[in-house]
Amino acid sequence: MSPESVLCWSEDPDLAGQLVRLARSVASGPEDRVFAASFDPPSDDGSRRIAEAGAHVLIRPNPAGPASTDPHVVASELRALVDTSHVTLVLLGSTKRGREIAGRLAGLLDAPAETGVARVHLDAGAVVVEREMLSGNALAQETLIARPAVVAIMPDVSASSPPPTVPVVQQVPSTSPAPLSERLELRPKPSGGVRLESAERIVTIGRGLQKKDDLVLIEALATALGASVGCTRPLAAEAGWLSDDHWIGLTGHRVKPRLYIAIGVSGAVQHLVGMRDSQTVVAINKDPNAPIFGQADYRVTGDLYAVVPALTKALDAK
Amino acid sequence: MAAPQLRILVAVKHGVDVGLARADRTTGVVALDTAPRKTSDFDRNAVEEAVRIRERLGGRVTAISVGSASAREALRDAVAIGADDAILVTDPAVPVFDTRAVSRVLAAVSRTLGGFDLFLLGEGSSDHFAGLVGPRVAGELGVADVAYVRKLTVDATGVVAEKDLERELEVVRASFPVIVTVGQEINTPRLPTFMATLKASKKEIRQLSVAEIGLDAAHLDPTVRIDRAAVPATTRKQVTITGNTPDEVARTLVDALRTEGALP
Repeated sequence: MSPESVLCWSEDPDLAGQLVRLARSVASGPEDRVFAASFDPPSDDGSRRIAEAGAHVLIRPNPAGPASTDPHVVASELRALVDTSHVTLVLLGSTKRGREIAGRLAGLLDAPAETGVARVHLDAGAVVVEREMLSGNALAQETLIARPAVVAIMPDVSASSPPPTVPVVQQVPSTSPAPLSERLELRPKPSGGVRLESAERIVTIGRGLQKKDDLVLIEALATALGASVGCTRPLAAEAGWLSDDHWIGLTGHRVKPRLYIAIGVSGAVQHLVGMRDSQTVVAINKDPNAPIFGQADYRVTGDLYAVVPALTKALDAK
Repeated sequence: MAAPQLRILVAVKHGVDVGLARADRTTGVVALDTAPRKTSDFDRNAVEEAVRIRERLGGRVTAISVGSASAREALRDAVAIGADDAILVTDPAVPVFDTRAVSRVLAAVSRTLGGFDLFLLGEGSSDHFAGLVGPRVAGELGVADVAYVRKLTVDATGVVAEKDLERELEVVRASFPVIVTVGQEINTPRLPTFMATLKASKKEIRQLSVAEIGLDAAHLDPTVRIDRAAVPATTRKQVTITGNTPDEVARTLVDALRTEGALP
């Protein structure tokens, strides 16, 4: 088997560090090499931290300025590094930007690619990945046959801690591609200030809620439980009753709380994928045939406008 | 001299119907080849956006699909929403879950058609959801791409697009030709009228072979193989909580949650 040469890149420095640790556990042979790309100035602290995670960091100061996130510029620079470092596997972060770069880079390299990858290993020269399919309903194992391969990895994928190495940061010349797009504006999204990914308990409200004012019922229950408030897609993306950071589902947030209470949530497949990893699930719905009940540990068939206040009262009573 | 007509391409996938696909009872395995199919969700948004742009600025919308003969259904959906033309590339040589092959076909079709100003795609398919094809075609053709767009403005020379990132909104300007991928937040696709559906069912679909777009089978060799797709087993307790009053139901539920340690 010829040695592996892995190139890691993510726009998120934490994710880049995770990719490097994963790369070192996947390609752990004595001849294998792990590189990381950076477009930040060499003085930047991020490069050193990524190097300390165990990668040989190759810096190409971005000619279009550090703020350039033009997919063509990033993919072209990565492509040049793939060529010069004889890269066999590219690991990117499976963020929206990362998936876009993965596609663009795979197009430039004519390489196989996959995104949303939760596990990766090498098997007789092929890259074997595990990822979700069918809007998150199924888990697929796929094999990328040709090399180099481009794989975008989900955040927070665990990897064993590799042995320490001497950090190396090396500056290499840029290929200076001209951007094909220009950023006019970058602004933070409106936020309700919640981080559902790390919530211990979550109360999620769905379309069973009749009007925005009734959110107070849900908030009172959340307070009694010490829980965060989540919602389904229609309440965030369509009605706008809650900001996107409350939205749980395929294109929203993925959560894994100790306790998940779904209220007036029918249980569309795109929602279920967002809450599937919850430990204990309670469903409250007036429709006894709601699909959410198939995913519930405790099922309450009833009107949320009667059950939720009663539940808040029962919790406050003790 | 009149301005040249806007040339808009839109790709539609006839993918696995995620709501209807069934898993084997014992193994959980989903047979992807035989699962029921439908037009991928975000592709309808892409078609709707293309049609709205044409309604505003004029031009021509050409829908393209790659797949088996059943992909005609996705093209009929696109025509019913308002696409002017429909092209199907069908060839058993095309591995439909290999983004390399699908992207090569889409890039080749666009070359065969003499290029485009704007090429719209869904940001991911309901079944595979890799989000690769749009940017991949852009990489292959060396044109600009903007992915995850939820607001799009088109003028005579290019687009201004708002990208919906995890924590930020990024507004980007790119000149034609440009590839844009969209999600369901960008619009609400119209429900085609009965007449539009009827007309779409009679619309001629131009069928092209792989050879007719300048590719041969070697260009499409599978590079990704799906070894297995299975629904993970979930084990939920499925306890039904009942009571004579809401208060009784609530107390029973709270007691159960405390007993199992889900509540302090």
